[in-house]
Amino acid sequence: MDYFLQTFPQQLVNGLEAGSLYALIALGYTLVYGILEMLNFAHGDVFMVGGFLAAGVAGLFVHNGVAAVPAALVVILMVAVAMGGSGLLGVGIERIAYRPLRNANRLAPLITAIGISLLLESVVQVQISPAPVLVPSNALVSQRVLQLGNVATPFTGATLFIAALLLMVALDLFVFRTRFGSAMRATAQDREAATFMGIDVDRVIVVTFLIGSALAGIGGVLYGLRFATVDFFMGYLLGIKAFTAAVIGGIGNLRGAVVGGLLLGVLESFGGGFISSQYQDAFAFLALIVVLLVRPQGLFGQPLTDRA
Amino acid sequence: MAKPRILIFTAMASLGLAACGTSSPGGNANAPTKVQIAAEGPFTGDEASIGAGALRGIKLAVKDFNDKGGVHGTKVDLVIWDDNHKAQTATTLQAQGISDPTILGIVGPMNSSVVEASEPGLQSASPPLPFVTESASAIKVTDAGYGVAHRVNARDDKQAALDGQFMIDQGAKRVEVLDSATDYSRPLADAVQNYLKTKAPTIQVKRDSATNGQTNFSTVVTNMKAFNADWVFFADEGTETAPLVQQMKQATLQIGQNIQFLGTDGEDDPSIVTSSQGAYLGAYASNVTADPQSVSTAASFVSAYKSAYGSDAISQAGPFYGSAYAATQVLLQAIANSTVSNGKISRNDVLSHLGSDTFNTILGPIKYDNKGDVANVTIGIFQAKGTTASPQMASVKSVSG
Repeated sequence: MDYFLQTFPQQLVNGLEAGSLYALIALGYTLVYGILEMLNFAHGDVFMVGGFLAAGVAGLFVHNGVAAVPAALVVILMVAVAMGGSGLLGVGIERIAYRPLRNANRLAPLITAIGISLLLESVVQVQISPAPVLVPSNALVSQRVLQLGNVATPFTGATLFIAALLLMVALDLFVFRTRFGSAMRATAQDREAATFMGIDVDRVIVVTFLIGSALAGIGGVLYGLRFATVDFFMGYLLGIKAFTAAVIGGIGNLRGAVVGGLLLGVLESFGGGFISSQYQDAFAFLALIVVLLVRPQGLFGQPLTDRA
Repeated sequence: MAKPRILIFTAMASLGLAACGTSSPGGNANAPTKVQIAAEGPFTGDEASIGAGALRGIKLAVKDFNDKGGVHGTKVDLVIWDDNHKAQTATTLQAQGISDPTILGIVGPMNSSVVEASEPGLQSASPPLPFVTESASAIKVTDAGYGVAHRVNARDDKQAALDGQFMIDQGAKRVEVLDSATDYSRPLADAVQNYLKTKAPTIQVKRDSATNGQTNFSTVVTNMKAFNADWVFFADEGTETAPLVQQMKQATLQIGQNIQFLGTDGEDDPSIVTSSQGAYLGAYASNVTADPQSVSTAASFVSAYKSAYGSDAISQAGPFYGSAYAATQVLLQAIANSTVSNGKISRNDVLSHLGSDTFNTILGPIKYDNKGDVANVTIGIFQAKGTTASPQMASVKSVSG
């Protein structure tokens, strides 16, 4: 019991930090599913590309552990390049691979998405690096550890959590408080009716991919700064977990994706900390099974009958 | 009179031809027409940093062997199979060797998990395709009973005893034993845990597990901290170590100050110091093979390696560049000792010579027991020293037996 009480707050913080990254990536899955009802399995790899773009920028400006220009400027550049690069990559994937299949059988874009995912991994593995690439985070951001009583978290971990939350709030405001957000919601509700109402559906879809992919891109930067490493396979398991988070929250529902991500992170952390670290990854999928059995549409999802 | 003269002439001509046949290397009747060996390992992928150094060692061994005349004058061709640390890739690559009778053996595979998945296929090939691994240390590699299996490194049971005893000798009281859920890592962590339990029952042990490719260790580090561990033993192939030790440092568990760290073969790698941004400095790692720099018979190999690949090449060579050279020497000597018949060498013959001959290698003489293990191997413990920019693994302890 002592052990439980002693580590509970720390495992909660660990879980929220991991969960915020799942949530950030889950938003991309849920955005695209909400609009197109397709599972963009390449999304985890768009996150990975964002991480590599950020590592590339850091590598350009940091030599022997010293940044050639102010570190804050390098981080801003990393964010800009990763968000821009990943955003454009997402838009490119939609234009080239998904749009021609928009009216095809539902399996076709799904298989294409898996193909794009493998393609991105292979290209990065062969052209960039098969081994993990170092992100010199100690030259760019503070390595300070924030301590509150028994609970400690590195500055980079806290940054990841706060930045992810701010981005999620910003996205929520954009979707629910702006004119373009209304167009997005209208398209999600009924694409055909939205077209009749004068909404440029193609534009909405492009912007949806741009936003989701840019969020994945900044996720890549935050991941690189937190763990000081990126590798071509990093989007695989993280992508699957983020997708799981989106399903737990109710795929298509933005707030659901956030709650699903945080819940998944905390469940994993508690499972690994209090039951067995050997099954840490399995807890995520166990949670998925339980939620789907009890509430098939996810925690915040609409039942299919309501959508029809 | 004519007949005897013709007979004598024919006899002399036959003798002359026969003499040609047994003369020096270079285009003679006893030379095999083609000899190939394969180098297999993770030359790309998550373990490329240990695979690359080993491949350089193998290439150098083949070059040195060919420079000395090859197999009765025939130069040995090296085929490179990059298994990417994946069993499925390995078996696909090996299928091409199985169907080509001029591929006489494999140096590698390097990872125990890959070896274990490969053994049934290599053994059931006709003829079987022998291998000499430079690094696969799982007990099952040779205990599984496949005749094709040979290694130049020590087994996990020897390494576990070395690791466990080292921590006991250093005064460990609370040891966090961690594995990375692979065929290699889990049995080794089990063996160390059992050793500690048997030899020093007063030491408290906590067991945790990571997964292959994991980067977020916050849950495990929290467990470690709550357990108040003074030693961490992590049986890993090296990939997960940098993020783990970095997150330990962020959680105020600083190696060499309030906690000690002992890793295994893949972690006997100075590049982890750089990739962990210095957090790995002070950590120990055991290795199932000797450091060539501390073996007198390997001195000329070390200088040849430096002159071939650059003066700083040793620091990037990983833990198996010397054992890879030695494994190649073993395989090539077995091939050279085999009978050439109609320009061909049979894999069965190579296999039989691997089992019966004694081989001279840079790490000392090697003679296999009936399982494919070497009786006397030097293993050691190394410590990460130097700086983040210029790290090295320095020898701390060396054990023979």
